Amino acid sequence: MVFVLFGLSLMIFLLLRAAIPPTFALAPYITPRMTGPQKLILAQSLGVATQSCPSFTAFSSLQPSCLVPVWDQYGAWLHSVLTGNWGYTLLPGLQAGLTTLAVFGERFPYTAQLAIMGAILTIAIGIPLGVVSATHNNKLPDHISRIISLGGYSIPQFWFGSVLLILLALDLRVGGLGLLPTSGALATDCAICFPNPGTIHTITGSPILDGILNGNFGYGWDSFVAYILPAVTLSITTLGALTRIVRSSMLEVLKQDYILLARSKGLSERVVVYRHALKNALLPAVTVAGLITASLFGGVVVIEIVFNLPGVGSTSLGAFNVDDVNFIELYVLVTAAIIVVTNLVVDIVYAKLDPRIRY
Amino acid sequence: MSSTENKSVASGSSSRRDDIRHALHLFRQNPLVLVGLAISSVTLLISVLSPFLVNPALANDTHSLVKNCWNNPIISWGSNISTCPGAVHPLGTDAFGRDLLDMIVLAIPVDVRIALEVVLSALIIGIVFGATAAYAGGIIDEVILRITDIFLAVPGILLAIIFLFVFGRTFTVLTVAIVIIWWPTYVRLLRSQVLSEREKPYVEALRAMGAGRARILFRHIVPNSIYPLLVQATLDIGSVILTVSALTFIGLSPSDLLPELGNLASQGFGYFFQAPWEIIFPGLTILLISLGFNLLGDGIRDIFDPRLRR
Repeated sequence: MVFVLFGLSLMIFLLLRAAIPPTFALAPYITPRMTGPQKLILAQSLGVATQSCPSFTAFSSLQPSCLVPVWDQYGAWLHSVLTGNWGYTLLPGLQAGLTTLAVFGERFPYTAQLAIMGAILTIAIGIPLGVVSATHNNKLPDHISRIISLGGYSIPQFWFGSVLLILLALDLRVGGLGLLPTSGALATDCAICFPNPGTIHTITGSPILDGILNGNFGYGWDSFVAYILPAVTLSITTLGALTRIVRSSMLEVLKQDYILLARSKGLSERVVVYRHALKNALLPAVTVAGLITASLFGGVVVIEIVFNLPGVGSTSLGAFNVDDVNFIELYVLVTAAIIVVTNLVVDIVYAKLDPRIRY
Repeated sequence: MSSTENKSVASGSSSRRDDIRHALHLFRQNPLVLVGLAISSVTLLISVLSPFLVNPALANDTHSLVKNCWNNPIISWGSNISTCPGAVHPLGTDAFGRDLLDMIVLAIPVDVRIALEVVLSALIIGIVFGATAAYAGGIIDEVILRITDIFLAVPGILLAIIFLFVFGRTFTVLTVAIVIIWWPTYVRLLRSQVLSEREKPYVEALRAMGAGRARILFRHIVPNSIYPLLVQATLDIGSVILTVSALTFIGLSPSDLLPELGNLASQGFGYFFQAPWEIIFPGLTILLISLGFNLLGDGIRDIFDPRLRR
């Protein structure tokens, strides 16, 4: 695990330091009022300019005497990464002097909210679909579930999301319900819909959780409604993998001797399937479900753009357009850390659940 | 009919012909595979014939059109820049006033080419490193596995975004980035196949006969363990097209005018309340192509799966 994180940091570092000029790395740390010598001291303290560099203009014109070899920059880079020194955001439309870390911290809960809602939906639909598929092997329910999982596997996220939005727009034109919003993290404009909109204190940053924690359930519900369509889109496109694993492991388990024994004892099919088989078949599903959940944190970029949600995925694309290296870097490292830690947790949980596995 | 079957079984030498007959039987049994085969053949055919079907210069032939359509109380679609689907333009026109059907025909080879390049490169890398890891074992195996771990820990689309940021928005960078996302799966797949194949008696026999390590590995073991990779490659053609189009959809395409399925949808995205066909048809094309290759790959898996034989 440590090796993976180290290798990953090395890869990200090499990509974002060796291949582009060092001025990119310095840009997030410069404030408008800095003078040339101050900028030079900053560059030297960040390890991107040499101590013998004569002036900042020499550095920004990339004079060879000012450039530090890439390998010597790694230590300083790792130090800023680990101490949370991510500089100021370059994103337009934000108040000046806001740090990258603050922007990330403010937007990450929106992404987490979407990823977790999507994961819950994926698990809630994917596992029953896989079980039904296995118990009705090669019959109609199996075919339907295979079409859903294979279809979901082949649908472009942006297309599914847009089609949902277009259908919804038609609904609005007909004067129908129009309950689900087409963009934004909240379904409605807060000032109109809440009894007292002032009582929201940011605790977790996620509107749903904050609404609940503040006792303002209307606010939480509002955001929940706004995230239904994005979460459905996310889960439709990811549940195929889970369904397939549950189906095949369920088929495998149903062939085992202890299932034959349970049947020959005269137990009902229901008890055999749900009490004896399902528990064992779900073991591999735990691994896959964990990994799917972790990967969703990095897989929401397209959905956040289609539904215009203020998460880190859509923000990182904005960062791309203004050359804000640090925001993208932070996003990649955080999602990778989530995946690595989840991997570890899943392994431990698996070993706890399955007594046959001993490390 | 039955007499020829008996003969082939009795002779035992024509087991390959039996296999083919069995494969054809499985193909016929599963109509969805035939659908997949049909869609993927048509896709490949269009990719090859595209420049003869549509003049590529049409991609630069942009003009704005003013046209409204289907004005009734329920649907009032139409925009000042694109024409509705109709007799002249079967799928309407796109945001630049170009015929959408023509653009889709021009776009299919772009996506298919990237997908084939990615899958073939990943296949080659997978074979070389996977076979080496499995057969060499020890420290080499460990190092290769840990490196695949690193790449598997980054969400693919984010790694591709970083590559496009660092090296510029071109299709070459896009292709390389997606290869870098994809290769670890193939390495691991081939490694596990080779590990199980290595223990079989014929390998021991070859070793006893004095065959060299490299010869045993690449002439005997690899050809026998490659089928799961080919299935994976077929399935992945669809996934690669999905990834490419997702990246170009979020605005990372080399040029706005370029006919590429994700880019066409991306240009139409701004108008989807006025001109929904601009995003529906390119997306539907991606869905169909991806579904076709997935169905085909699923069917091939069933055919090569020894558990399903007889």
